[in-house]
Amino acid sequence: MKTKLFFTISLLFFTALIFAQNTISGKVVDQKGKPVAGANIYIDGTYDGATSSETGDFSFETSETGNKFIVVSFLLFETFKQEIDVANYKNQTVKLRENVNALDAVVITAGTLESGDKARVSVLKPLDIVTTAGSAGNIIAALQTLPGTQNVGEDGRLFVRGGEASETQTFVDGIRVAQPYGATTNNLPTRSRFSPFLFSGIAFSTGGYSAEYGEALSSVLLLNTQDEADHEKTDIGLMTVGLSLANTQKFKKSSVSVNMSYINLAPYQAVIPQNVDWNSPYQSLGGETVYRYNFTNGIFKFYAAFDSEKFDLNQKNVNFENPIRTDMNNNNFYLNSSYKGSFGTGWQITSGISYGYSKNKLKYNISDVDNNENAAQLKLKLQKKVSNYFKLSFGTDYFITKYNENFDDNVSITAANGYDSNIFAAYAEGDILFSKKLAMKVGLRFSNNSLLDENNIAPRASLAYKVSKSSQFSFAYGDFSQTPVVDYIKYSKYHQFESEKARHYILNYQFTKPGQTFRAEAYYKDYSNLVQYDTKDLQYNSVFNNNGYGYAKGIDLFWRDSNLYKNLEYWISYSYIDSERQYKNFPTMATPSFIANHSLSVVTKYFITDWKSQIGFTNSFSSGRPYNDPNQTQFMNGKTKSYNSLSFNWAYLLTTQKILYFSVSNILGTKNIYGYDYAKLPDPNGVYQRQAVTPTADRFFFVGFFWTISQDKKENQLKNL
Amino acid sequence: MKKIVTLIALFVVVISSAQTQFEQGMGKAFGLWKEGKNAEASAMFERIAAAEKTSYLPNYYVALINTTSAFSEKDKTKIDLLLTKAQDALDVEMIKDQNNAELYAMQALIYTAWVVADPMTNGMKYSAKVMEAYAKGKAIDPNNPRIVFGEADYQIGGAKWSGVDTKPLCAQVDRAVELFTTFKPATPFSPKWGIERALETQKNCKK
Repeated sequence: MKTKLFFTISLLFFTALIFAQNTISGKVVDQKGKPVAGANIYIDGTYDGATSSETGDFSFETSETGNKFIVVSFLLFETFKQEIDVANYKNQTVKLRENVNALDAVVITAGTLESGDKARVSVLKPLDIVTTAGSAGNIIAALQTLPGTQNVGEDGRLFVRGGEASETQTFVDGIRVAQPYGATTNNLPTRSRFSPFLFSGIAFSTGGYSAEYGEALSSVLLLNTQDEADHEKTDIGLMTVGLSLANTQKFKKSSVSVNMSYINLAPYQAVIPQNVDWNSPYQSLGGETVYRYNFTNGIFKFYAAFDSEKFDLNQKNVNFENPIRTDMNNNNFYLNSSYKGSFGTGWQITSGISYGYSKNKLKYNISDVDNNENAAQLKLKLQKKVSNYFKLSFGTDYFITKYNENFDDNVSITAANGYDSNIFAAYAEGDILFSKKLAMKVGLRFSNNSLLDENNIAPRASLAYKVSKSSQFSFAYGDFSQTPVVDYIKYSKYHQFESEKARHYILNYQFTKPGQTFRAEAYYKDYSNLVQYDTKDLQYNSVFNNNGYGYAKGIDLFWRDSNLYKNLEYWISYSYIDSERQYKNFPTMATPSFIANHSLSVVTKYFITDWKSQIGFTNSFSSGRPYNDPNQTQFMNGKTKSYNSLSFNWAYLLTTQKILYFSVSNILGTKNIYGYDYAKLPDPNGVYQRQAVTPTADRFFFVGFFWTISQDKKENQLKNL
Repeated sequence: MKKIVTLIALFVVVISSAQTQFEQGMGKAFGLWKEGKNAEASAMFERIAAAEKTSYLPNYYVALINTTSAFSEKDKTKIDLLLTKAQDALDVEMIKDQNNAELYAMQALIYTAWVVADPMTNGMKYSAKVMEAYAKGKAIDPNNPRIVFGEADYQIGGAKWSGVDTKPLCAQVDRAVELFTTFKPATPFSPKWGIERALETQKNCKK
């Protein structure tokens, strides 16, 4: 009896004693055989383990026996797991594979300028849109301080690398916005409809973009709305040009934000001398709402915006003795709803729908032009992460556009034009990471356009190679096609058009260090299939063809630095472009009037702690733009003087939640000339008279007071300015 | 009978020695941390976390060690790595339990570290999140000294440029110091840090 008990006891002790018997040892190295220090090595499910030394060596004892899993983990590398025999694991070498998703992996950067929290290399920071002097909260104006854009002051839209403004498409959460800009007419600049504070990230591609996006010849602007509201608050803004009111409510899984604004430029027009004669000032009333709902594996977003704008003015016109009256009314509605979520293993789904409605009522002189556009897009995209080295994405989208225009000159001519267009597209794209240094993206986009009765296949490819810790090269190539602009295809019932085409080649070099970014990009763009017509003005009976062509080539440079001086940030953009086209009614190859060969922007921001103020200056310069002087035999032979505008802004924090904001554009009052309009007919002396195209006023000034009411006393509207 | 009692007693000894394995492990990890061996301590906590899925503490300390290391780090790439590691560890526990005030205090601290690392880029984005995390924590436990202090301290830190009145915040710090002195951790390894810094802030308040 006693012996048996003794035996049991000794057996138990023995079991306890054989704990901590085996020694596990070895060395952790990377793929090049260099030792990895600080890796965590342990037997899975136990406390037994060690940290590798400077030489990569490790050694520890374990009480485990038999076959167990050894785990080696270190953030920069993929976790290594292997079944081992605990008794026989000594002096082994563990080779860790680098984690290609680590922060310093190569990223394809050709063509793309990114901002926001998800961007690895931010060219613009989220606050920049609103704190860049001269931008006045207009997303587009802030983007115009980046390389590759043209400053076309009489238009206000984005002109990218020799492309017309219509060649850039805007997408919100991946879904197209058919009418991204406010209403405008004859040489009055427009601005973006979107308030910048709704977006957490902006990617602006100046070429060579993904196969996911189509119907854009030059560029895509991708705006991503915030996934979650920061917190409950009410914002009140009192401005010299209007009022704004916003409110955000947060619930357990969802949030809703609503904002309203009323803009009236009458006070500003009364103070600052205007170059045109306003019958009724620019006024707009707009509202936006965003609703977000978070599911366990996804997020649903609903965004809707409405705005109504009107203005009435008399503009001098070289063809008439008296100024010509323009009376514009525009109503616009935009809806975008999307779902993004994950399912299965490594699958991600994005689906959405957008609908835009725009109605313009324009009275020009005595003629009436009314038009309305209904545009919708349906989209479905699937992404599968096959491994850390390969990601596949594919999807489909469908664009529907209906456009009607009625013209009545109130004398003799009435006309109705319009079109219905349906475009189906599908794409597939693969992201391949060969290593942390080499990445490639290859894609193909197919589209079918029912109005033009054509099919298009567009290949896209890009490649990036990291040469050192802080610098890399990227290359991008792509074919792009786009339906001709509405000015042409509204005559579709008389003529059959074809898509216009462009091919991009982009070479990019990027150097980044914390607080510093340098980019240099060279590109060549080949245009073909551009629409041409044979009359002075566009008419339904013009003779059209798709034989136009052209090219654009140039260099874009960008430098951003925040290390030079404490609290100072600045960036410099320079673009050189050489571009000619034979399109529209051009008799020969020529540089279009919206292109300036040299553009330079310098943006500075300085925070003065003692004054609780942020002060910023922006200087935009572009060389002269071509114009056509019919008094000369050579086409497009004229060149305007160069353009320069220095803008200033000052945000002052009265208290944490009250901000006083002041901004002036073109402080120096430079008399800028964008181009010249020539008379259609010569005067009695046989000379064509001309008139300069100038800004509606030389300066714009703005004073605003912004007040945030919220639980969180630190929150303010600085980011909205 | 005696035999059975002995056997049971022995089993209890063996089992209880297995239980104290957690305590031993945690004790060892704290020892490493005290010696300033942050990476080793973090690794030890990670190993414990991998083996003990029921306690939030090992991952909590992985997050805390890496976040506090990030505060004293200058290299931005390393800060990214440290804070990513901290966030990953915290996420594991946050999914399991959304009603632990200490986890929200930890979350606020990680966001604060992002702000400190690059105020120009991260200030606006994370400031709101810091305050939100403290608000959530406060809703669960209004008397957690780390939350009461952290919330006040973060705002005092930003006061020099936001112009916020520090008087009520300093009163909140005083309250936090009191809460720290009466705070009873739930277990020997539960979070109990923070009074030193609170006293320091209190001293600065009185200047």
